[in-house]
Amino acid sequence: MRFLSSVFKNTITNILRNKLVSFLCLGIISFTLLVYGIFDFITLRLDKYTQNFSKDIKAIFYIKDVAFEDDVQKLIEKIKQNILVKNVYYVSKDRAKINFERQFPELVYILSEFDKSPFPASIEVEFKRSNNIETKIVSFIEEIEKLSIVESKQVNLEWAKKINSLNRFINVIGIFLSFILIFISIFIIFNVIKLNIFYRREEINIMRLVGATNWYIKIPFIIEGGMLGLFGSLLSIILLFLVFKLFPFFASYIYTMVKELMSFDQIPSHLMFKLIFIGTIIGLFSSYISVKSHLK
Amino acid sequence: MKVIEFFHIYKQYVKDSYALQDVNVSIEKGEFVFLTGASGAGKTTFLKLIYREEEPSRGQILIDSININLIPENKLYKLRRNIGIVFQDFKLLMNRTVFENVSIPLLVRGHRRSYVEKKVMNALTLVGINHKRNYYPINISGGEQQRVAIARAIVGSPSILLADEPTGNLDTELSIEIFKIFERINANGITTVIATHDRHLLEMFPRRVIKLDKGRLVKDWKPEL
Repeated sequence: MRFLSSVFKNTITNILRNKLVSFLCLGIISFTLLVYGIFDFITLRLDKYTQNFSKDIKAIFYIKDVAFEDDVQKLIEKIKQNILVKNVYYVSKDRAKINFERQFPELVYILSEFDKSPFPASIEVEFKRSNNIETKIVSFIEEIEKLSIVESKQVNLEWAKKINSLNRFINVIGIFLSFILIFISIFIIFNVIKLNIFYRREEINIMRLVGATNWYIKIPFIIEGGMLGLFGSLLSIILLFLVFKLFPFFASYIYTMVKELMSFDQIPSHLMFKLIFIGTIIGLFSSYISVKSHLK
Repeated sequence: MKVIEFFHIYKQYVKDSYALQDVNVSIEKGEFVFLTGASGAGKTTFLKLIYREEEPSRGQILIDSININLIPENKLYKLRRNIGIVFQDFKLLMNRTVFENVSIPLLVRGHRRSYVEKKVMNALTLVGINHKRNYYPINISGGEQQRVAIARAIVGSPSILLADEPTGNLDTELSIEIFKIFERINANGITTVIATHDRHLLEMFPRRVIKLDKGRLVKDWKPEL
């Protein structure tokens, strides 16, 4: 405990002593995490955006007039049991006629030509809100469509597919950029620690000669890397907060959807923890490999 | 009881040139030994071999009956905690105070702050520099820096004290004072090996003298009791 508290104190002193190098280091880590945070956040918002609209994903299966009541009931039960399905409504032929009359009162006269309802009975299926479900929904719809009592289907998934591919695209760019920046961060922290080892080589040598263990010498450098990562991540959270607070102000004339994607009440806590975790791990990892290769 | 034993020690830094050649020597517990010889005779190498900053090219070295060549790198600290070293260039950290410099050997052992304070004050008092404990090395004289280096070497209560040309840059009066400090330390039972080429001091303090010449042991003289 005493060792750790003195290590933390010395680490802060070292960071302050090498202000320029430390600032460079904090800058690159926070920039890396900021880019990661922005992309992660946009992806998150897009997911929510998709979810908000996924209540509109509906499939309507029109039933053949010759179908038996029992078979229709069995089909409704089967659909209800599927985990993708939220609600199932059965619209009988008569109900369909009433609906038509309500929606298009000016066209009611057309119906007078028919004895019975000319509309087919249908099963309306509402799907649950979830991400990346369109493939599952498509295969489910195809399965139902093949049944003999189903005449035809009506479904619109195009918008969901588009948003999902946009989401995937943003995800890929985010991961790609983050990887490059994480690599740069690791490289910079690696070299900052290398420089520190070089600056303090005399002190390290003295410590060795007076009986310090290898870990006593190495741990402060590793913790220094970890703390640079931690401070960098905290800085990135502040920057992320500023970016999202200021963006709607500058983007007031930009397309509404973009504004909606960027506006938020607060940074989600899981994103903050993720940034802190990634920052600290980057710091610890790069300082560890630096110590391993420069402190024998 | 033998504390330091050299068996046929050879040390070669470059091809065809020996820093030490077939050195056989043993030093008893509590002994006070001067290691002498001209510059380049191998005195510093001799000391470095004891705390294994250098390894012999051939031969075996036993410290407290342990063959130090066989100690793995990550266990070397155990050997070094038993040896206090006063370096020729003092090796003081200029950005730390006198007190902080002397406390390093205790801090690396993980001792309590109160214990460290007590031990450091004792060591500083023994070398007579207690009043400058809050000074930075840059603000004290060479003689005082030497005392700080000695205090740091003895603060961890080692059983062996090594000093490499401890009076190299000091005038005679100060050198005598420093040697008196070494005598006091040795009186506490600490085996003391001092590398020096100061003949005047050797005459003033008649002790066992091991003389090296071009890496060879040419004289091992003990005063008659």
